[in-house]
Amino acid sequence: MQLFVIQRILGILLMVFSFTMIPPMLVSVIYLDGVFEPFFNAFAITLITGIIAWLPVKTFRQELRLRDGFIIVALFWIVLASFGAIPFLLSTQLDISFTDAIFESLSGLTTTGATVIQGLDELPKSILYYRQQLQWLGGMGIIVLAVAIMPMLGIGGMQLYKAETPGPMKDSKLTPRITETAKALWYIYLFLTIACATAYWFAGMDAFDAIGHSFATISVGGFSTHDASMGFFNDKPMVELVAIVFMLISGVNFSLHFLSWRSRSLTAYFKDSEFKTYVSLLAAITIISAVYLYYTNHFIAPERALLHGMFQAVSIGTTTGFVTHEYHNWPGFLPVLLLFTSFIGACAGSTGGGMKMIRFLLLLKQGMREIMRLIHPNAVIPIKIGGKPLSDRIVQAVWGFFSAYVATFSIILLLLLLTGLDQISAFSATAATMNNLGPGLNEVGSNYAGISDIAKWILSFSMLLGRLEIFTLLVLFTPAFWRR
Amino acid sequence: MNYKALFRIIGVFLIFHSLGLIPPIIVSAYYADGQILDFFYPLLFSLFSGLVLWLPNINNNSDLHRHEGFLVVAAFWFILTAVSALPFILGPHLGFVDSFFEAASAFTTTGATVITGLDKMPRSLLFYRQELQWLGGMGIIVLAVALLPLLRMGGMQLYRAETPGPMKDEKITPRIAHTTRIFWLIYLMITTLCTLSYWAAGMSLFDAISHSMSTVSTGGFSTHDASMSYFHSLPIELITILFMFLGALNFSMHYLAIHKRSLRVYFTNPEIQAFTGIILLSITVASLKLYFDHTYPDYLAALRHSAFITVSIITSTGYTTETFSSWAPFVVTLLFLISFVGGCSGSTAGGIKVIRVILLVKQGYREILRLIHPNIILSLKIQKRAFPDSVTNGVWGFFALYIAVFSLAMLAIMASGVDQVTAFSAVTSAMNNLGPGLGTISSTFQSLNEWNKMILAICMLLGRLELFTILILLTPAYWRR
Repeated sequence: MQLFVIQRILGILLMVFSFTMIPPMLVSVIYLDGVFEPFFNAFAITLITGIIAWLPVKTFRQELRLRDGFIIVALFWIVLASFGAIPFLLSTQLDISFTDAIFESLSGLTTTGATVIQGLDELPKSILYYRQQLQWLGGMGIIVLAVAIMPMLGIGGMQLYKAETPGPMKDSKLTPRITETAKALWYIYLFLTIACATAYWFAGMDAFDAIGHSFATISVGGFSTHDASMGFFNDKPMVELVAIVFMLISGVNFSLHFLSWRSRSLTAYFKDSEFKTYVSLLAAITIISAVYLYYTNHFIAPERALLHGMFQAVSIGTTTGFVTHEYHNWPGFLPVLLLFTSFIGACAGSTGGGMKMIRFLLLLKQGMREIMRLIHPNAVIPIKIGGKPLSDRIVQAVWGFFSAYVATFSIILLLLLLTGLDQISAFSATAATMNNLGPGLNEVGSNYAGISDIAKWILSFSMLLGRLEIFTLLVLFTPAFWRR
Repeated sequence: MNYKALFRIIGVFLIFHSLGLIPPIIVSAYYADGQILDFFYPLLFSLFSGLVLWLPNINNNSDLHRHEGFLVVAAFWFILTAVSALPFILGPHLGFVDSFFEAASAFTTTGATVITGLDKMPRSLLFYRQELQWLGGMGIIVLAVALLPLLRMGGMQLYRAETPGPMKDEKITPRIAHTTRIFWLIYLMITTLCTLSYWAAGMSLFDAISHSMSTVSTGGFSTHDASMSYFHSLPIELITILFMFLGALNFSMHYLAIHKRSLRVYFTNPEIQAFTGIILLSITVASLKLYFDHTYPDYLAALRHSAFITVSIITSTGYTTETFSSWAPFVVTLLFLISFVGGCSGSTAGGIKVIRVILLVKQGYREILRLIHPNIILSLKIQKRAFPDSVTNGVWGFFALYIAVFSLAMLAIMASGVDQVTAFSAVTSAMNNLGPGLGTISSTFQSLNEWNKMILAICMLLGRLELFTILILLTPAYWRR
């Protein structure tokens, strides 16, 4: 363990993060909403802490090793979430407890989108902007995490992508590779955000909402500047369509965006089996939702059933968590079907949450192989993705990931029940946070304000677990990790 | 596919099954409850159709192979369930779906019922339900101890070498016949002991026999609507706990214990150790929560009720003393989640089985270690025996499939408007062969529609046959060749 190097990195991180308080200050100046000071103070606190952490160890420049990766990744989210909570705590317009501030900040940075704040429409613009920006920044972190770090750490079979990651390869040194990858991917991320904001603007949002929602869309976060979420724009159906398109794009592996951008062609998408599964699954869920909504007469007009069914299927399938209509009041099995879909989640290497489409695809193939093995006990049946056979190591890692996911889910569910939540709220809250989705059902249908503080801490932990793909955190809790 | 041999075997099953209808006829004659014909016609039907299948193939002595084993097992459960449903159609005039549900529930030792007013039912019919569970238990023991390891179901090949009887033999029949005789004898012995204990503790002889049948088979049917709380007796509850526990232990362990005349095998078996640990932990947690919720006046009462319900649920028996569905959602959900663990392999209990859970935990830990030391080679061991990767993958696959089938079934039930809690409990109860439900089905499954009952009946069979047996029959690859 190279504690000083880790401290140096976190110091730099904090210093960089402190500068993200400047845009909200500008927003505050433009709208004269009187939150300038809290943001400035937060900026100062973060910057100074960063410098204090960095200065004494700035000469430690050893290379990081894989094992340090686990600690840095976990600390990255925990430290940023703590400092990200400062503006919430300092602002006088927002009467919010410490627990709530951390919850909100973590929900933003993990791009979950679960909120404890009610009355968004009356909040100062700069705070609203800050929430959206937190998600956007979180999304930037997640892309690097998902595309570069997870494959290198080999979390849950993600070593599968090791060779495909853009940037220098076959190198166990962390830093150079990550910087290269990050630069390329952030350009794409920025480009998509600008495209999305412009599209929202043309669809009828004002500039503030367009930028704010583009942040939450491209990062598949799901925060909104309105209590009604996307439902606020119900009279502008184009907004929903724009959201659907950009949520779909953001749920795709960013390596694919990178490849197609470099080769200036779309073939990369259609050759990718994960992308194909992703599109087919979302199409299937859309059709089921639309048909069910239409036949239960929830929407009289078929095109409305289709639009809202599609919006919600994409929003939840990609784990964004925008809502147009109160989907938690939808009939029958739809809310639960949608929540189950969020477990599958978006593609690996995207900003989405859940177990990831590639793992779902692998689970299907592996399950099929187990059946074939029963029929032909002595056959050797390789599992292939894109024509390449997978190693047994990856297969087992994917099985293990799934089991760990289910086990963790059950434990968090039980803990929430212990705090006194009812079964449906507890089930949906666990799913919504672990999959980094956002809205739940019942008590946590529109926001998380009504639940106890302990429950909020459990859910914060659950968001972090989901975002770090469980194993990154679990590893830190094993004695074997700290030994040697 | 060797269809002639298949028909011969199914014919033999049916003929034996028809004999199972004789005891209810005797009970009916004894109590003069007027149900004789309702059992006699199914007996004739079963016997006749058995003979039709058996006689033409009587000389076909060709042996069945592993490949056909899947079909035999599935056919055994589906056909016998359908035939067993007949007395329910003739006697209390249940619909076909209700009868199939009741028969499936009995035969898979689930214990979920669609019948209300048990206390007023004819004695023979009550006896028949209990007997079906007992017979189902006999089938399960053969399935679990002899067949599943042979079919390598979900990693169960790990028991392949441990099964008593002739080994290293791909032929099914001789091995099963030998194993079966030993285990049925043990089964009969435990049932007799259970009957005598119940009787001594104050049950009527009829109730004692009936309940011992559903206790040892971990079925959970009762002859009273109030289930075990009808008796309000601590000794009876303790006896029930003991025999449910025995029924959920690997029958190979019972065999070894008798063979070696020593109880040590129980204490050194890692599966039983883990099983006991899980039970004790669950009882402690449940009783403390009930105590602090003031559900019961004192800790002893909380302990008594939580001990009974916990053992009843984890062994997938499903007896209830109190209306436990009104307990705190935490306790109820905890118990239902624990029912997924189920009993030991090679027992009559349902669920995923303790040995697989042990392996899942070990395998999960291995994955964590692999992240820390990417280049290390770790072998998986239980009691110093290393497992090949085929077992590991089999167990992972089984678990994933279990969750997948569970989720799909739950969505299917919810699609017709059933609420989430009810649907969750119904599918858990059916797949784990447990019995009781929550929400609108806390006492009987009667309120569900026919479509849902059919789904649940199939879930019971899926759970009982460890999923793969049935799913494999749905793949084109099985029928090719």
